[in-house]
Amino acid sequence: MADTLAERAPLPRFFSRGALALVLGIYTFYTLGPFLWLMTMSVRTTAEISTDHYAFPKKFHWEQFRIAWIDSDFATYFWNSTIVVVSAVAVVTLFGAAAAHALARYRFRGNRAVYGILFSSIIFPPQITLISLYQILVDYNLYNSLLGLTLVYVSLQLPLTVYLLEGFFARIPQDLFDAAKIDGYGDLEIFRRIVLPIGMPAIATTLILNFIQLWNEFLFAVVLITDPDKRTLPVGIRAFMGDHFQDIGMIATGVMISVIPVIIVYVFFSEKLIRGMTAGAIK
Amino acid sequence: MTTTSMSSDASGGAANASSLADPRRASWWVLAIFLFPALAVYVGLTAYPAFRTFYDSFFTIEGLDATFVGLDNYRALMSDETFWVSVRNTFIWSFVAPVLDVATGLLLALALYAGVPFARFLRVAWFTPVLLSYVVVAILWTWIYNYDWGVVNLVLRALGLDALVTSWLGNPNTALAALIVTHAWKWAGFNMVVCLAAIHSLPSEVLEASELDNCGWGAKLRYVIVPMLRPTLLNLYILAFIGKMKIFDLVWIMTQGGPLWATETVSTYVYKRAFNWNTFDLGYPSAIASVWFVVVCGAVIILNRLLATRERLEY
Repeated sequence: MADTLAERAPLPRFFSRGALALVLGIYTFYTLGPFLWLMTMSVRTTAEISTDHYAFPKKFHWEQFRIAWIDSDFATYFWNSTIVVVSAVAVVTLFGAAAAHALARYRFRGNRAVYGILFSSIIFPPQITLISLYQILVDYNLYNSLLGLTLVYVSLQLPLTVYLLEGFFARIPQDLFDAAKIDGYGDLEIFRRIVLPIGMPAIATTLILNFIQLWNEFLFAVVLITDPDKRTLPVGIRAFMGDHFQDIGMIATGVMISVIPVIIVYVFFSEKLIRGMTAGAIK
Repeated sequence: MTTTSMSSDASGGAANASSLADPRRASWWVLAIFLFPALAVYVGLTAYPAFRTFYDSFFTIEGLDATFVGLDNYRALMSDETFWVSVRNTFIWSFVAPVLDVATGLLLALALYAGVPFARFLRVAWFTPVLLSYVVVAILWTWIYNYDWGVVNLVLRALGLDALVTSWLGNPNTALAALIVTHAWKWAGFNMVVCLAAIHSLPSEVLEASELDNCGWGAKLRYVIVPMLRPTLLNLYILAFIGKMKIFDLVWIMTQGGPLWATETVSTYVYKRAFNWNTFDLGYPSAIASVWFVVVCGAVIILNRLLATRERLEY
């Protein structure tokens, strides 16, 4: 081990190895500590937490999760989040992939202009659409509805989706498309049978990225949803915290319920996710 | 089943031949099928609302009644002290905090690159906070900053530094800094993985040459790595800048802009004026949003020009 390390790159001279290990250890504790603390609190009751906030759980109160899930309505929030996020991600991926394919593959007047328009909204501050979207959804009876929130979420993630997929689709060799044309494939078949299967790695990355970002979305959800039965998890947790400020144990349990899906995705797809988030920021 | 190929056959050899001649061309309806859904979403849910916000900013809107007031909202804005405080706070955040994020990210990436043990585990561990929602991060850090039992004050008391113990989020002098630290905690990992990927994509000859020249780490960092990573670092800076110009969730949950507007940002102020205060006027917050839209877009364009990165930006 020590040999390979020395070969790869000598460590900074001004740092002894021990000091570096200490600094990195402290930093790792700094990033993971709060999360581990949250995990211990989620299986302790508020009474236990109040006596010592940092003790390891003596008894694992798994029933906290059942109480949160059933009595504190976190099941409702969880399913609302699931419905909204899954449908928005499915729609935005399909719409985004179709647009990205057309922009990456075909030459037509205004191609770059369309791309620029779709992409530029990535820098818009959300308030520029927030207030009007509220009015528009009220006008169309979509305010306080999961459908309305889903539509808004599709529009929020569209620029990133088009951007990531266009970059990838443009790198698919043209030869494949020429061959498909000669075999008599129509344009839609090319999209369905060539672009989607070949683009699957990029599409998967986009799916995961969009899932995490929307699962965590707060601002639009808090403005566009007021009905307690339609709250998504971030809004639900925030509301629960507002009503039960002292009930730390139950808040921690609710937070864990919202974090678990993200952690599961991360465990299985950490490489894809990290690559997706870094794509484009490099180069 | 194969309607598309059928129709192109049916429309005769000429069309077929031309599509074979240049497969990068497509008939307008094919383009329309591919582009229409995305463009419809864009027009209906991004462009139209954005224009409507601009339009609304010239009105006072209370419920269904809209009264034209011309530039009154903008005039009121110029003399609105809370607005200027929120602009100041947002600017502090946007210009200063990204330096913290990017520098931490670069140092962490260098540590991993230097080949510390367990690098794989450390990378995953350091990246974890990026995935947590602002709501989760905000709740956790509200507890961490708790006056009585938060870990910050516990550590200070244990070290005998009782004089420094304070209510971190309740004290106007420390609240903004406390939020900036929290935000950096969430985002350092993102900057780390981007820097790491960029370091790995540097031409290895240059790094090897610098090692042959017996170049120390400090010099290597200063004369080789940082200059070569310049485009990446600047991109990261701009990304962080954009993110902070929009900051809302963290502030709203941790301090709601308080105490005494010490952490008020433009985003939280717009939200307060539109949905939280009982002023029931959507025109004035629309004016703030419009001004801020111009500021953000302008700042991004200027930064891009100034820093002369030819690279494409990601969100």
